[in-house]
Amino acid sequence: MTGSATLRQTDGRDIGPAPASKRDGRRSAVRSRAARRRGEGRAAWLLLTPWAAGALLLTLGPALVSLYLSFTDYNLFNPPHWVGLRNYTTMFTNDPRYWDAVRVTAQYVVLVVPIKLAAALGVALLLNRGRRGLGFYRSAFYAPSLLGASVAVALVWRALFSTGGTVDHLLSDIGVHTGGWIDQPQYAVYTLVLLGAWQFGAPMVIFLAGLKQIPADLYEAAAIDGAGRLRRLWSVTLPLLSPVLLFNLVLETIHAFQAFTGAFIVSGGRGGPGDSTLFYTLYLYQRGFTDFRMGYASAMAWVLLLVLGVLTLLLFATARRWVFYAGQERP
Amino acid sequence: MRLFRHVRRTAAVALALALTGTMTTACGSSAGSGGAVSLRFAWWGNADRAKATQAAVALFEKDNPGITVSTEYESYDAYFQKLATQVAGGDSPDLFQLDRATLGEYQQKGVLRALDPYLGTTLHTGSVPAILLSAGKIDGKQYAIPGGQTTQMLLYDKTLWERAGAAAPAAGWTWEQFAAAAEKVGKATGVPGSTDFGWAIDWFEVWLAEHGKHLYGANGTLGFTAADLSSFWGMTATIRAADGLSKPSATTKMDGSTANSALVTKQAASEINYDSNLTGYLASYSGGTLAAAPLPTDSASVSGLAAMPPVSFAVSQRSAHADAAVKLLDFLTNDPSAGALLGTTRGLPPNLSTRTSVCASATASAGDKAVCGYESTVSKLVGPSFGNWPTGAAAVKRDFQQIYDNVIFGKTSVSAAAAQLVSDAQQTLSQQ
Amino acid sequence: MTAHTADDASPASAPGRGAVPATRVRRSLIWHVSTIVVVVVLLYPIGWLISSSFKPADEVLGNLSLWPRHATTDGYRQVFSGIAGYSVWHYFGNSLLVSAGAVAGNVISCSLAAYAFARLHFRGRGPLLGFVIGTIMLPQHAVLIPQYILFQKLGLVNTFWPLVLPKFLAVDAFFVFLMVQFIRTLPRELDEAATLDGCGPLRIYRYIVLPLLRPALITTAILTFIWTWNDFFTQLVYLNDASKFTLPLALQIFIDQTGQSAYGPMLALSVLALVPIVLFFLAFQRFILEGAASSGLKG
Repeated sequence: MTGSATLRQTDGRDIGPAPASKRDGRRSAVRSRAARRRGEGRAAWLLLTPWAAGALLLTLGPALVSLYLSFTDYNLFNPPHWVGLRNYTTMFTNDPRYWDAVRVTAQYVVLVVPIKLAAALGVALLLNRGRRGLGFYRSAFYAPSLLGASVAVALVWRALFSTGGTVDHLLSDIGVHTGGWIDQPQYAVYTLVLLGAWQFGAPMVIFLAGLKQIPADLYEAAAIDGAGRLRRLWSVTLPLLSPVLLFNLVLETIHAFQAFTGAFIVSGGRGGPGDSTLFYTLYLYQRGFTDFRMGYASAMAWVLLLVLGVLTLLLFATARRWVFYAGQERP
Repeated sequence: MRLFRHVRRTAAVALALALTGTMTTACGSSAGSGGAVSLRFAWWGNADRAKATQAAVALFEKDNPGITVSTEYESYDAYFQKLATQVAGGDSPDLFQLDRATLGEYQQKGVLRALDPYLGTTLHTGSVPAILLSAGKIDGKQYAIPGGQTTQMLLYDKTLWERAGAAAPAAGWTWEQFAAAAEKVGKATGVPGSTDFGWAIDWFEVWLAEHGKHLYGANGTLGFTAADLSSFWGMTATIRAADGLSKPSATTKMDGSTANSALVTKQAASEINYDSNLTGYLASYSGGTLAAAPLPTDSASVSGLAAMPPVSFAVSQRSAHADAAVKLLDFLTNDPSAGALLGTTRGLPPNLSTRTSVCASATASAGDKAVCGYESTVSKLVGPSFGNWPTGAAAVKRDFQQIYDNVIFGKTSVSAAAAQLVSDAQQTLSQQ
Repeated sequence: MTAHTADDASPASAPGRGAVPATRVRRSLIWHVSTIVVVVVLLYPIGWLISSSFKPADEVLGNLSLWPRHATTDGYRQVFSGIAGYSVWHYFGNSLLVSAGAVAGNVISCSLAAYAFARLHFRGRGPLLGFVIGTIMLPQHAVLIPQYILFQKLGLVNTFWPLVLPKFLAVDAFFVFLMVQFIRTLPRELDEAATLDGCGPLRIYRYIVLPLLRPALITTAILTFIWTWNDFFTQLVYLNDASKFTLPLALQIFIDQTGQSAYGPMLALSVLALVPIVLFFLAFQRFILEGAASSGLKG
């Protein structure tokens, strides 16, 4: 790919030796590498102290507890009893609603992640230009995300997408009669996809921040080399933005799998009509907090964790091909 | 490094504490020192209920200088998530509100204190009707005291029904007459005669009672068969097919609130609900006159109406101040001033003398008067509270609505859906 | 905002920008018009929300038009007359306290951890970073009960600590990962040079990484503030008294799933609750612009 080759040359020319040269030990003269590493290790742990405390107490501890609970019949009120793999086997073989939830969630993820990321990246690129009123536009595009998923949003969505609502009226005017979307099982999940994608502010801000960290001289160098706008996007912007793109892709994927609040408020906690908006975590919540089967809910959580872990590893594996780190020895 | 080691040790200790402490919830609320007792009282509900309840609590605190009460309240779903978390953590409130779907659940898991030792001494229930009080009895013991009374009603738009020339609902009318009227209204006005009532297990329970059955039998088993449910859902299917019942897109939103009511949004000309919601309907309904009527029945002896507590109050098994909590409960139930403050925020007052004075009060709102009026016209028809729901009932209630969605959207047949609900419910109940 | 950074993807930043040709003006006009059309569509629901807060209850779902037939400020009046015995400012104050604490915690603790993960060599770095990403994947509802029990044993339930303390312990792995990714995009030559000058890791963090990381820090601050401001479930579980309630908890007092919801005050409070986060975003969004690119990377 000539794009990244150009980039590496530019990088090397402007900012000094290519990072790869560090590894062959030319710098070891400065200080003993081992001593430096030891010092770094000590400093690292000092900096990591708050994180380590939080990770142990508030993350790892509770996570291990929930792993243990996933092999029990814990019902929140009584001491748990070990039931082995029963929760897991029930889930996979004897719970059709579980598979409804998996199907609904997969459908949601596949739709919302690309739409949301495309919107966020597109708008970020649009707003990264020198135009008047950029602050206004940036705020306007971010505004939907300010709302979060509150009860007011649920009300808005119902007004827009119910039978007889705004969208139903607009579509009827142009001769499309779908009825309401939010109250029909075949459409309901799309209203939640729209809600998720509508709030693309977080990845947009992250893209913007990433764009701003791309050194301006790279563009100048590329412009001097005669690269056009699209070429610059392809050869400079996207490669340098790729770590941020990876970040947003991984995080939005995880986020979409864990989508809860939107479905919870819009469907009043039910996941209806039918099971058409029964997201995985909504079902997990129902099992844990309304059916009091926290053991089962914990098992669901760990299955989700494993699936997300595998997916993330896959994403990172492909990342070696397309993510470029300016500050790293290798991608 | 030393710092880190220290942190690591502290963290390990704390982690071990958390792990061992998790499942053994041994401690209750902290014991008050020096005679001063601090109680926690929790409920769900809207701002009106909160305001009235806080006023009553303030009165209680004034009468009982040694006791302070902190109040906690949320909306329904939020309340129950929080209560479950608190109970799991061993710090549930001393006195809290439950409903039908949760009372059995919490009782069977040992969270509630049996109130029998207090009955007649510090907790007086003499003025609470026996048909209502029985709702708080499980296995012969009193675990909860009703916070109010409500009963089932059919709320209908008089204007639309008259315009269609449908016979006005009257005591003793049958489901067949109801179906005929609903279809007539639907055909004549374009507004379906009633909200599709197949969504709520509560209304199925009414229908079962009229047919001599119950939702749940002894020991938390299912009290009906797939055939029973098939004929109930078959009945709604027939009326729906003849324009008598609301469209699926309206039915699927039903949750008992006025906000999502098909009647309020003019997608149905009548609706079954509990009369504790009558005030809300009257306030949100425009462009027609609403009237409340008894439900239809197929039985000569059972009206289908029952005295139901919209909410009940229970005392935590682990409360360190159960005596004070019971005192507060007694105050809320029997004190005339408290009763006047609480009014009809939890349905009609459970205490009959309070009820009489609240209904007769000059300050009673139009909504209150309507509820009082309806309850007095049907008082002869109202039977004892339907039996208690076992643990797992909340899940069954939710599945009932979800499966019914599949029926109305044509994804499954009535008989297949009924069979599915029965098998799902049996599985849910057996796993508890 | 400096022209230099704002323009970096556009040929307009090239030196020698002279008289503006007519085609450029036309293109700019098209850009603005089409962007505004998109913005209007995107903001329609918010317009609906604001206009509905001035509608009487029966118009909220009954009147599709953005203009109320009978405009009313009853909702706002109710909100300003107090909620559950406390003035509305009380809830604003609590939300502000929690959100500000969360921002401070996340910015400090996550940047420290991220720097260590992204730049320093220590044993177990790879697996620990994997652990960081792993913690993002764990559904919150599954760890809620154990976390709650921990805070309850520490006697911190019904205080703001369970909402703020985790942020100071970098529990929001999302932001650790975010900053790791950002630090990785910073050219390593800068800290190498500083090391040559005899700077230790702490000084490099303080004087080199932190200033260059500003866009990511601002991003973290904005997202943390907004997400904490809107967070409902954590605040619900840990706060009991109305005296400790934050705005999302005050808001749910107006919803009554089993009866009649009070749309007026609920919508009014929803709109009012937007004001501080809009201001916060407006105040800080321009700092995202001041990227590392312009702030001294050259040379």
